[in-house]
Amino acid sequence: MAERPGLTREQLVKRGAAGAFAISMFGGLADKAHSFAGPLRFKDRQLKGDLKILQWAHFVPDYDTWFDNTYIKNWGEKNDVQVHVDHINNALLPSAAASEVAARNGHDLVQFLFPPSALEKQVVPVNDLVQEVTKKLGKMTDVAYKSTYNPKTKRYFGFPDNYVPDPIQYRKSFWFNAGVAPNTWDNVRKAAATLKKAGHPVGLGMSNELDSNMFLMSLLYCYGGALQTAEGQPNINTKGTIAALKVMKEIYQQGESDEVFAWTAASNNQAFVAGRLSLAVNAISIARTAEDSGNTALSDDTWLRPIPRGDVRALGNEHVMGIYFIWKFAKNIPAAKQYLVDQQLAYRDHFLQSKFYNFPAWTNAVKGGFKAMNKLAAADKHKPLGKYTILTTIAQRYTTNVGYPGFANAAVGDIFNQFLIPQMFAQVAQGKMTAEDAARSMQGQFRTLYAKWRAQGLQ
Amino acid sequence: MEVLRAMRRKAGTYVVLGPFVIVLAFPFYWALTTAFKKDRDLYNAQSNPYVYNDGSGHAHWDFWNYMTFHHVSFLFKHTEYPTWLENTVIVGVAVVAITLVLALPAGYALARLSGRWGQSAGVGIFVVYLVPPTLLFLPLSRLVAELGLRDSLWSLILVYPSFTVPFATWLLMGFFKTIPQELEDAALVDGCSRLRALRRIVFPVSLPGILTVVIFAFSLCVNEFIYAFTFTSSTGERTLSAGVPNELIRGDVFFWQSLMAAVLIPSIPLALLYNAFLDRFIKGFTGGAFR
Repeated sequence: MAERPGLTREQLVKRGAAGAFAISMFGGLADKAHSFAGPLRFKDRQLKGDLKILQWAHFVPDYDTWFDNTYIKNWGEKNDVQVHVDHINNALLPSAAASEVAARNGHDLVQFLFPPSALEKQVVPVNDLVQEVTKKLGKMTDVAYKSTYNPKTKRYFGFPDNYVPDPIQYRKSFWFNAGVAPNTWDNVRKAAATLKKAGHPVGLGMSNELDSNMFLMSLLYCYGGALQTAEGQPNINTKGTIAALKVMKEIYQQGESDEVFAWTAASNNQAFVAGRLSLAVNAISIARTAEDSGNTALSDDTWLRPIPRGDVRALGNEHVMGIYFIWKFAKNIPAAKQYLVDQQLAYRDHFLQSKFYNFPAWTNAVKGGFKAMNKLAAADKHKPLGKYTILTTIAQRYTTNVGYPGFANAAVGDIFNQFLIPQMFAQVAQGKMTAEDAARSMQGQFRTLYAKWRAQGLQ
Repeated sequence: MEVLRAMRRKAGTYVVLGPFVIVLAFPFYWALTTAFKKDRDLYNAQSNPYVYNDGSGHAHWDFWNYMTFHHVSFLFKHTEYPTWLENTVIVGVAVVAITLVLALPAGYALARLSGRWGQSAGVGIFVVYLVPPTLLFLPLSRLVAELGLRDSLWSLILVYPSFTVPFATWLLMGFFKTIPQELEDAALVDGCSRLRALRRIVFPVSLPGILTVVIFAFSLCVNEFIYAFTFTSSTGERTLSAGVPNELIRGDVFFWQSLMAAVLIPSIPLALLYNAFLDRFIKGFTGGAFR
């Protein structure tokens, strides 16, 4: 029998599958090829080319939507620069930066949420940008200055963009029933057992995560303790540190459970929004999540106030510090510099779109300063009305940098990234060490860390 | 009597297997229910977490009135999830193809042609698979940058075979040894070339092993995180494993419902695939154990 002309069904299926595979696999090559050809877009312009930015995925998704689709587009069109923004989980920023340093390739601008002091030798100093912005807006906030300036090398290793005040968020009704207000750590200690018995413990973590790190350092300040002196010498072994360790041990033993040693950055958020916790030290992501959940009984009962006062003072860290840096191997340093200056000079929309999360490093970046920000916060419709106005008070009077009273140097960065402070508190709270021994032991560890960075010439 | 005995045997099987099934299937059930939960239900400590509840924490039999598609819709409309799915499939298919092209002849050569040292070489190749990506991602990052493949799916297509090929070679090597040598000898005597014998005799008989490699290599690509996160940074170039944790975990806020939907959607086809080829999959893994 003669063979029928044309393809058999089997051949047709095989060739079709191969073709589909080829198109799906190699169809994208056309797009890649195009990027190697084409007219010069930015001929004779001062700024040209592409600008690549890496920053965290903001907890307010709408902020990133506005940032990517409106702000960046407008800036790029105005300056004739193609801007690409990539967002990643903030916990993954250090490893992303590490891989870019190893590859000597990556983004032009990277935003960290803590001072990148250890990267000083890899980045372009931005003293010129700071001067330019300061000329137009006045001095930056102290928290921004001490988070980005190295007095040893006299360089700004990062450009401060924003900081986030760290209020306590508490359930008014639970504390009313407990009979005290959370305005001092002594009151928190007194109410802890009552609140735990009522099924609404305080939520103060002692875990290797951001919230515990920030809160426990703040607790040190409230009792007169600190990581270092104003001159940048390790100074953790003090009466203030020991007092803070003892207070936290008491709060834990009376008012918390073991879960606080295994918390992640999201744990206190989730426990608070589930209606369990009576108090948490956190940025306003807790209050905003409560509002978005539609649970008005919870959100209306969630109040904000400054950090409680200890024996010495009421002072807390910023929750996060948004700092941009420019790699030395960045492909478009001029555009990166211009971008940073332009963003800071008009910060009002960033403040609004972030739902008052992002406070500008230069207060006058929002025209009218704290007064204007207070007015904007007062217009928020969520109950209790006006609750977000406390943020400007916290920003002005109760917020300092990591490393207070000194600068956020590379050793402080190491202490922060290794979670040495939560571990010290956890050891004492669990009865594994006395407060005195823990402070003494930590001082020894600090000395080693500081010596390491001194040898590298960074402090 | 026979019927009773059969029923008793089956009951025994179900009693033993039942708890395992419940434990293994429970995460999928959890993910499925959570994906459609309203925030007020999910975050209410009074709610029964296994069913749908109203705002006061009371469960209802008409659960469809207490579900929401908002979070699944968010996943598809406000993130690049369809793009990540597409990228994952592209990378997976390409890596599987490369793996087969390299591992099939390598496994055959080590099984048939390399004599005594073939076994040792096979083990040596497998040991490469055990080197953790956390050690390699920094030097590979430099290599990827030098090749100009940074922030491109091609970086993953180039790097993933570094762990799929060793495992596949070792697996196929064991599987080829189970195929009687006489089959190939007969083909060679009949005038087949080595390559033709491979194509016409060995590969069809080795289908279970090949399917095992396909499924396993694809699963490895879907699950891999550290290379995907390090080598790609643009949202449009990400695969599922990098895109989902980066854009659905924002600071200290987890978008739980969207996260559960995001992990459930690719799991279902993979589970169906495993199920469809289960017998051959098991044969593929255990074929090499009995020589």
